[in-house]
Amino acid sequence: MVNILIQGLALSGLYALLAVGFTMIFSVGRVLNLAYGVYIMLGGYMYYTAVQVMGLPKIGGFLFAIAAGIAFAVLTYSILVRRLEGNPVAVEIATLILAVVMQSLIILIYRPVSKSMWPVVQGVFRYEGVFVTYNLLVAMVVSWVALAGLLIFVRYTRYGRAIQAVSMDRKGAIISGIDPRRMNLLTWAISGALGALAGVFFATYTQLNPSMWVGPLIVAVAVVVVGGIGSIVGSLIVAHIIGFMETFTTAMIAAELRGVFTMVLIIVVLVVAPKGLFGRGEL
Amino acid sequence: MPKSRFHRSLLYWLAFGAFMCLIPLVASTGVVRLLIFANFLAIFAMSWDIISGRTGYISFGHPFLIGIAGYTTAILTRHLDAPLFVSIPLAVLATLVGGTLFFLPALRIRGTYFALVTLAFMELMYQLTQVIAPKITGGTRGLSGLKTIILGAVPNYYLTFCVMFAIAFCLWLITRTRIGTALAAIRMDEEAVTALGLSTLKLKLFAFGASAAVAGIGGALYVHYIGSIAPRALFDINFLFTILVAALLGGSGTIAGPILGAYFLTFLLEYLRPYLPGAERYFIYGAITLVVYVLEPRGLHSILERAYGKLSPIVARGLAK
Repeated sequence: MVNILIQGLALSGLYALLAVGFTMIFSVGRVLNLAYGVYIMLGGYMYYTAVQVMGLPKIGGFLFAIAAGIAFAVLTYSILVRRLEGNPVAVEIATLILAVVMQSLIILIYRPVSKSMWPVVQGVFRYEGVFVTYNLLVAMVVSWVALAGLLIFVRYTRYGRAIQAVSMDRKGAIISGIDPRRMNLLTWAISGALGALAGVFFATYTQLNPSMWVGPLIVAVAVVVVGGIGSIVGSLIVAHIIGFMETFTTAMIAAELRGVFTMVLIIVVLVVAPKGLFGRGEL
Repeated sequence: MPKSRFHRSLLYWLAFGAFMCLIPLVASTGVVRLLIFANFLAIFAMSWDIISGRTGYISFGHPFLIGIAGYTTAILTRHLDAPLFVSIPLAVLATLVGGTLFFLPALRIRGTYFALVTLAFMELMYQLTQVIAPKITGGTRGLSGLKTIILGAVPNYYLTFCVMFAIAFCLWLITRTRIGTALAAIRMDEEAVTALGLSTLKLKLFAFGASAAVAGIGGALYVHYIGSIAPRALFDINFLFTILVAALLGGSGTIAGPILGAYFLTFLLEYLRPYLPGAERYFIYGAITLVVYVLEPRGLHSILERAYGKLSPIVARGLAK
């Protein structure tokens, strides 16, 4: 039982990190970026290339992954999304198409076979019937650090508060002399970095394959939808609901049913409470 | 010269139908088989377009509807040994029920969220078919060795083309009625339609029902054409992607658009096969669609229409000289 709780906590930490980048874009730009899963996938593949193919140290792998995430996110925004501004449905369609395009690019480069990744940290933590891989524990810690850093950035720095202003009221932000496009670009860059970082851990938690972007994307979608529009704290809570739900389902019922409840949750919440359980909160 | 636009359009339809009927007489079996897939894709793309292109409710879950039809008829024929003329109508009926399930969320939400719900429906179905009653659904591997309706490329071509043509023609007739106009109005401003005293509920229900029925017909026939069904082939983002891309590239909100898109994509794929086998073709598909979508959201149909509009006066002037 304790084991399930700890596993759930660790997985939830990873999910929170997976989802928060997606939440930020939605909060600031009011668009759903369905190419977000690609940042996660890119993170995984770039880390793999740097560490397992080129033999760089792990820190180099992380930097490489994050750089790729940022670069791709910034390109997505400035080439594609900016042109479709004001039409969230078009953005949704275009980013979904982009995601499939990137998936096939990955297939083109890395072949369609799955690749397993070495854990970032080796070993398993064992204590009185509790066992969690150090990798997942590290993922949880990194996730907490990253999220705390993000909260501090958003609440207490100039740029963070400017991002917050755009998410609250775009016109008001413009009047106060904030350029919403620059803030959007910054948000996308942060989102790309967070996605890629989460992707490295997600890929070590599961494995690398060209369709690995769908799973995390659905988790991110569920977190945003259930947590309500763009609230970081709401997202955290929901990431834990989903993480624990999946862990319990895997342990108690069947591993195959893991994702089913997440999907049911999305559908039920959207139909019953379209504004999300936690409403429109502060970023 | 025909008197009205109606007559002229009718003439175009007949010409298109006659032309397509003549193709098997000259084309090779390979091309005919390709056209069969194009016909199926056109049916799916039209089905998508009834909801998404016309009313503006973007569906990311069309494979869900197609899958319901496919699985219903596959299970009925495989396990209960039902004849096709029973199982296919039942499959369409089941899809209508599934379409209603789709419709319920649309009562409350629209725009980006509606697309998400439909996407969740599709993923849910993907996981459920593998876990719930794998003996009946065939689990991850699906069912194979299903009955076929008719054998041979040419008869199948005529079958699929006739179905596709009939659907397109019916849709065209519907768009000419006031219902068609009202549906297009929903896309622009749903509240305004309500304000005019029309029941958007009934209109949407009609559109969803029509879309589900078309998806059901297409799905059931498709399964009995390829003879097998598997969850990963159906409830897949790549399949959704192909439908979406066909409709968008051709031009959503029109009838000819999705057909044009489906044919274009199928032949593009065949043309690219020597260079890009396998899943890489989605790269080209997607890249082309993204460019067209960003530059001209109404697709090839609109581009061709404009080109025709610019060219025809020039041609007419040339002829006058």
